[in-house]
Amino acid sequence: MYICKKSLIIYFLQQNKIYDLEPLKDILSKCEEIAFDLDFTRAKEWKSQDKKRVIVGYMPIYFPREIVHAANGLSVGILGGGDKKMIIKGDAYYQSYICHMPRSIIELALDGNFDEFDGFIFPSICDVIRNLSGTFQILGKGKFAKYLDYPQNFKSHIGGEFYEQELQHILDEIYKINQIKVTPARLNESIRLFNKNRQLTREIYDIRQKFPWRLTAADVYHIVRAGYMIPVEEHNAILENVIHYIKEDINQPLDKIRVVVMGAFCEQPPIGLIKTIELAGCYVVEDDFLLGARWIQKDIEEIKSENKLLSTLSYAFLNNSTFSSTIYDVDNPKEGRLLELINRRNVDGIIFAAPSFCDPALLDHPILQKACEENDIRYVSFLYNENTGQFKVIKEQIGTFSDSIKLWD
Amino acid sequence: MENKIVTLGIDIGSSNIKLVLMEYSENPIILDKKVEKIRKRNSAEVSYQLINDILEKNNLKYEDLAYLASTGEGEMLLRKKGHFYSMTTHAKGGAFLYPGSLTVVDMGSLYVRAISINELGRVLNYKMTGQCASGSGQFVENISRYLGLAIEEVGDISLKATKPETPSGICAVLAETDVINMVSRGITTPNIIKGIHLSIANKIIKLLTSVKAKSPVILTGGMAMNHGMVQAVEELIEEGKLDLKVHAHPDSIFAGAIGAAIWGGFRYYKLNN
Repeated sequence: MYICKKSLIIYFLQQNKIYDLEPLKDILSKCEEIAFDLDFTRAKEWKSQDKKRVIVGYMPIYFPREIVHAANGLSVGILGGGDKKMIIKGDAYYQSYICHMPRSIIELALDGNFDEFDGFIFPSICDVIRNLSGTFQILGKGKFAKYLDYPQNFKSHIGGEFYEQELQHILDEIYKINQIKVTPARLNESIRLFNKNRQLTREIYDIRQKFPWRLTAADVYHIVRAGYMIPVEEHNAILENVIHYIKEDINQPLDKIRVVVMGAFCEQPPIGLIKTIELAGCYVVEDDFLLGARWIQKDIEEIKSENKLLSTLSYAFLNNSTFSSTIYDVDNPKEGRLLELINRRNVDGIIFAAPSFCDPALLDHPILQKACEENDIRYVSFLYNENTGQFKVIKEQIGTFSDSIKLWD
Repeated sequence: MENKIVTLGIDIGSSNIKLVLMEYSENPIILDKKVEKIRKRNSAEVSYQLINDILEKNNLKYEDLAYLASTGEGEMLLRKKGHFYSMTTHAKGGAFLYPGSLTVVDMGSLYVRAISINELGRVLNYKMTGQCASGSGQFVENISRYLGLAIEEVGDISLKATKPETPSGICAVLAETDVINMVSRGITTPNIIKGIHLSIANKIIKLLTSVKAKSPVILTGGMAMNHGMVQAVEELIEEGKLDLKVHAHPDSIFAGAIGAAIWGGFRYYKLNN
């Protein structure tokens, strides 16, 4: 059904008759509410139901949530306060040339938003996050604050061993709190749930690749971000429900260009920015927002009796990770993987959107942009903060970019 | 290009909504046009009504349109097929209204923008005024209301000025205070209005200089319908000895909608071939 040929009234009458989209709207609005709940209400409620439950907060980008789940815990993504948290105390902890996200995380911590959290994981993204982990230790937040070093050697007997030891250290910390030992059976159940979660998330992205008008990029963002805040079982149910609706021929296709947004893997863009990109004439068919949810690209294998407990998680990290500025990738450079992604998603151009002062993203952009220039791929780039509120200039840049591709290529 | 198709361009501004129904071919023809003040109404609802009206008047149905293109603040419009950025549409609309133009000055309610274009209407460079409203049509409209004039009158009144008094060109609030002082000092209405036109024209000259404007220059947007404004720009060009010839067109206010309708036709063929 090519809806745009119908008159608006008929279009909506047909829509109402054929597809009742109210339940989808309800799901989306619930996801939006959960995604930006800086009080972490659902996680705290979940914990209060069982004394042996723990909450472990983790910073971007990736953390294998399976291990916390298997230890009767809920891993909650800490992505900063975005444009919903006024920074008063956080600015005192960081110089003006440091990105915005750690300030709002400190602000949340000092305001007691993480008080029921048992531990915190700081994956090795950059020096700022390392510094933040130290600050949490000094402030005595949680029962443990672990700086999780990613291996940068991808041989299983070197990097793999190291990674397993890092994860075991986290399990040991959780064990001290709730005395729950992670068995292969428990971990396999968690692996199955998170495999399903990644499969469903991938399916949403794949549908959007073909029919980007069925769900906005902001909606997808809310849906995926909600998964950072609630038990995986509940998130899987939400994802299945969303897929049920977007498999149908809903909404009206518009004449927009298809873009990939790169650089927003750590400090998250304000939702207004994501909306602005789509309003200014683009369909975001691929992005690196909330990259941790899709970090592992294939299913993680379950543990067999002869395997070590954390070996399949380690194997997945070493062999099936996506590309990112935080991973040493001399054997499989990220620019090649970006070009492969562009081909696979059939995009018209790239938007490089990086947080101000984000060294990992900004150091990589010249490499990625050079690859784009050598392959005649159009791109535009700009900076943002998580609390940016004015998008006029960005809208102009993207609108012009979109028009130039639509009209001059 | 074998068949003629019908496209509709809708330019949603902050004061007016402009529609142009166009027969698109190698030589596009305007079939009908319409402009309506928003007057604090919901712009989307007004737009839907205007679309229905123009289609009905021309015995067309929505499905007869090959492409409905929005521009300006029309991103939220549900009925569109595509949206083009204002700069792109004013460039194309300007080139349509005055073929051979190499510069377009879009003088709208909120901003003024100088755009360098090539002979095909492609944007080469642009500059626009900042956030302050003192360089915009909305400012002229506010002052005319304070002085008890209809916006349609200000152009002709401005032409009667003998000794224009220029207000602050930096801030709309200060400029409005200046105007109040001028009224109390007994400055005549034509001299006040002309002074405001010269203040805005001064900003336009700066924009033209910074984009290294080439002649001919076409003025588009609502303020291009204001003879006094056009004359003020011409006077400052002459005063500054710039080698620029400025043109306005009776349909200048429709330039954005015209550009949107033309680009819509272009996209229709591009998408269908």
